[in-house]
Amino acid sequence: MNTVMQHMDCRNFAALDVAKGICHRTKELVLADTEHCEHFVATQKCKFCDHFVAGDQYLGTCNAVPSKPMTYPDLITVTCEMFTAAAAKA
Amino acid sequence: MTRTLAEVLEQSGIPIRLQVGGKAPDAVVDREVSKEPCPRAKKLRDLYFQTLSSATNEFPYWYTRKYSELEGEIPVVRRAAALKEAFSHLTPTILPGELLVMGKAHYYRGSFPMPWLSEGYYMAKEDELYKAALSKGSSSVDELSKFGSGGGNVTQTFGNVVSIAGKFGMRREEIPALLHTAREWAGKSVDDVGHKYEQMVPTYPMKEAIMRSIVCMFDSGYTLPQGREVINYYYPLEYGFDGLLQMAKEKKAEVAGRADGDGLVGMNRLYNYQAVILILEGIQNWIMNYAKEARRLADFESGPQQKQEYQEIAQRLESVAHNKPTTFREAIQMIWTVHVAVLNEDAISGLSPGRVGQVLYPYYEQDKAAGRITDDEVLEWMQLQRVKFTCIDCFASMGVVGGVLSGNTFNNLSLGGLTKDGRSAANDLEKLIIEAAIRCTSTQPTLTVLYDDKLPEDFLLKATECNKTGTGYPAWVNNRGAIDFILNQYGPEGMTVEEARALAIGGCLETSPCSWLPLHLNAKEYWIPGGSGQPTSVGVHFISLPKVLELVLFDGIDQRTGQPVYSPHGKKLESYEEIVAVFQDYFRKTVDCLTTSNNIQHDIWRKQNMAIFNSLLKPDCLLNGHLIHELGYRYNGTYNVESCGTVNLVNSLAAIKKVVFEDRATSLEEIKQALRDNFGFKTASEVGSFSLADQEKKEESGKWDYIHYLCLTAPKYGNDDPYADTILKGWENWFCRMCHDYESLNARPLYACQISVSTHAPMGMATIATPDGRLAGTTFADASLSAYPGTDRNGPYALFESATVWDHSLSQNSQMNLKLHPTAVAGMQGCKKLLALTQAYMRKGGFHIQYNVVDSKMLRDAQQNPDNYRDLMVRVAGFTQYWVEIGKPIQDEVIARTEYEGV
Repeated sequence: MNTVMQHMDCRNFAALDVAKGICHRTKELVLADTEHCEHFVATQKCKFCDHFVAGDQYLGTCNAVPSKPMTYPDLITVTCEMFTAAAAKA
Repeated sequence: MTRTLAEVLEQSGIPIRLQVGGKAPDAVVDREVSKEPCPRAKKLRDLYFQTLSSATNEFPYWYTRKYSELEGEIPVVRRAAALKEAFSHLTPTILPGELLVMGKAHYYRGSFPMPWLSEGYYMAKEDELYKAALSKGSSSVDELSKFGSGGGNVTQTFGNVVSIAGKFGMRREEIPALLHTAREWAGKSVDDVGHKYEQMVPTYPMKEAIMRSIVCMFDSGYTLPQGREVINYYYPLEYGFDGLLQMAKEKKAEVAGRADGDGLVGMNRLYNYQAVILILEGIQNWIMNYAKEARRLADFESGPQQKQEYQEIAQRLESVAHNKPTTFREAIQMIWTVHVAVLNEDAISGLSPGRVGQVLYPYYEQDKAAGRITDDEVLEWMQLQRVKFTCIDCFASMGVVGGVLSGNTFNNLSLGGLTKDGRSAANDLEKLIIEAAIRCTSTQPTLTVLYDDKLPEDFLLKATECNKTGTGYPAWVNNRGAIDFILNQYGPEGMTVEEARALAIGGCLETSPCSWLPLHLNAKEYWIPGGSGQPTSVGVHFISLPKVLELVLFDGIDQRTGQPVYSPHGKKLESYEEIVAVFQDYFRKTVDCLTTSNNIQHDIWRKQNMAIFNSLLKPDCLLNGHLIHELGYRYNGTYNVESCGTVNLVNSLAAIKKVVFEDRATSLEEIKQALRDNFGFKTASEVGSFSLADQEKKEESGKWDYIHYLCLTAPKYGNDDPYADTILKGWENWFCRMCHDYESLNARPLYACQISVSTHAPMGMATIATPDGRLAGTTFADASLSAYPGTDRNGPYALFESATVWDHSLSQNSQMNLKLHPTAVAGMQGCKKLLALTQAYMRKGGFHIQYNVVDSKMLRDAQQNPDNYRDLMVRVAGFTQYWVEIGKPIQDEVIARTEYEGV
């Protein structure tokens, strides 16, 4: 799992494709896998959620519902009503 | 010294003439018409050129998570709830400069797999995908520019991006979750369940042999089960989503617990309306998530213009999520949203927007009159719509997306045609749509003119101007012929002449049934056309006619694999008539076993994966409470039998008839030996070219030269030669009628569909040499009525005579591609010549014609230097594609097409 915050972890990052996106702050193209800049604001992903329990090989569990379904760290959750920011993880 | 076929024939005095009607200038000539998009569209299209085809697991994840929770729920409700969950959780992405917003996924050119349809094609590579996902990815920075050449296809894994299904990139962090999600569908997907039951058909072993030998290209029910149809935007435009929800709730209360005289499916209406409510709520959530994103962006945006644009986007979306549109801008946002929603509901290619210029005309007319919009602003929006359509990708297996579709998604916009009361339906907005397509050239939406003699000349000349951009659009379709076909096929379901006039083209050139519905805007009523039929180009996909002939000649044994496909016929084939009879027998067997298998696949699809949103859009599902799986659509007789390689079959039969049975210049046995030995040439794969002229001789023994000469010089289709043309006529009359003997799962007769899309390349690769002189592995003639390259020697009017010896309205379509050198249609005089040429073909009864206005030398250069031609487009079949995203066999074939130097 990525431990260094990258552009693709930023709320200002609008993904164009799997490798790059546009920064809403600078309006410039940025590569998804490069380290973030001073405008960084963490986006909502499972890996930043209090309900997320990490598993092996890019998998994990969502504890927000009783059935505890599989989920994965980089699932974007800006639309998930159960997302609860985990400050320590972010 | 190795010689190519072109050199051999040149030395033999029968040169292949790939230029007819003159000689092209030595220098490369560019297309005459070339304009620039508006700045906003240019910027967004340039972004597209830099974008990789990208897949995500987001939609499948949420769909599967909800579906798993609802074990025991009624299937249609369970599916609707899963779709609602998925739509509600799609991440909204809005890019700076966009006015028209929303997309399939959060990537600009995004798509996603649907494992509930089929999971096997990427699960088969599970180990490989896992390894790619878990290996440490090096930084993609250095590799990106290198990978960018050749268009947006991700054909190789790089950095943190894993290539999946040969075309799409997926983030490696998502691969384990993708595989986990897909595993949940193993044994439950339409593919898996369908396979279980299709094996119960007695002819299943033959079906398997047919698929392995590539007599048929692909299955139907779990690959692209919908599409090649015309969407209907009417209900959201007339009622708005809140209005539709209200209607569904009232109808639900009305039918709950009541069979109303239908003991079989009457009770199902309750569940169907409940499903409709769920999916409408999901789509409203999806739209509102985009609205919230626009508000968020507006809040922190510092640029005043961009800030205002975000605010206006939010306002439009907040309105469109609930209300019927009242302005042109709201209406175009609404139809785009509806279009993407249907595409996200199922795996679809060829979801055609239909006659958009006539659907949006009420808003255009009233906004212009009220001073709310100008033509320049409309032009900008229509260009933005083109960029959005071009961003659509369809996730399916490599064989389907690459081998059949060439990566295209076939969103065909129809223009012209007739109104409900039989007048020209062309309007000023349609001329702006053409102008937008001239300025912002792009692959989607492709355009089709529904040609009718009643259409005004200025409109037709505008369309010819567009042809001269070299984009291959608009295609020209015979409106009167299409009406005849529609009436023949759908008359038993109540089709009238008035309603037939609403038709449009779905997909490449699939004539599709549509209806007129009354739109009300500010107390004025407009009758707008929209799709009212089930998907077409479903059923029996692409039967390779030359391959069937190979199996006839070799007693049912595939000469490429050595495996039996059909039971041996055991005939000596002592007459031409006997060969035709055996061919018909094998062809019937093929259609029968593929029909039964595909009927089962589609039946599983409709039981478990039925269209809900697409259904509620189509008349008369909302009114009768039955969706597609209960024949709620107005027209349900849409299944077909598709063919490929018609002209190679006709030319091969002509050669056998003439050389063996009439002239007795050689025996059938000798021809068979020559075919097996590829007339003494290497295979196309060995040569690395799939064009006939480039093929190289193996050795100089000359053993088969005379027989090859006889085959090549036998009568050929496309020269107004009754010898070959009579064979074509006989084939068409038999084929188009025999399809009616087979019944779809909807208990309606099948019909003939004669498009090749891109299948003439892989099917050619799987077929040995043919008696017309074509060599092993080379592509078949494109389309169904284009001449085989270099064999049409008497000009286009002779070709038209040959093509129209049969009644095209017997078939859903026919297809004719013509390649013209740009100098052949230069200037206004050239536009008029092009129109006259088109009218000549239409008036003879030709169904379809389209033009590649391009210099073949430019295509050769583009093949050598693809980096210089990122935006070069060509017409392949019923679609236009970026040159750099087409496979080499099709590139070779397009280069080899006969180039007309004058018309």
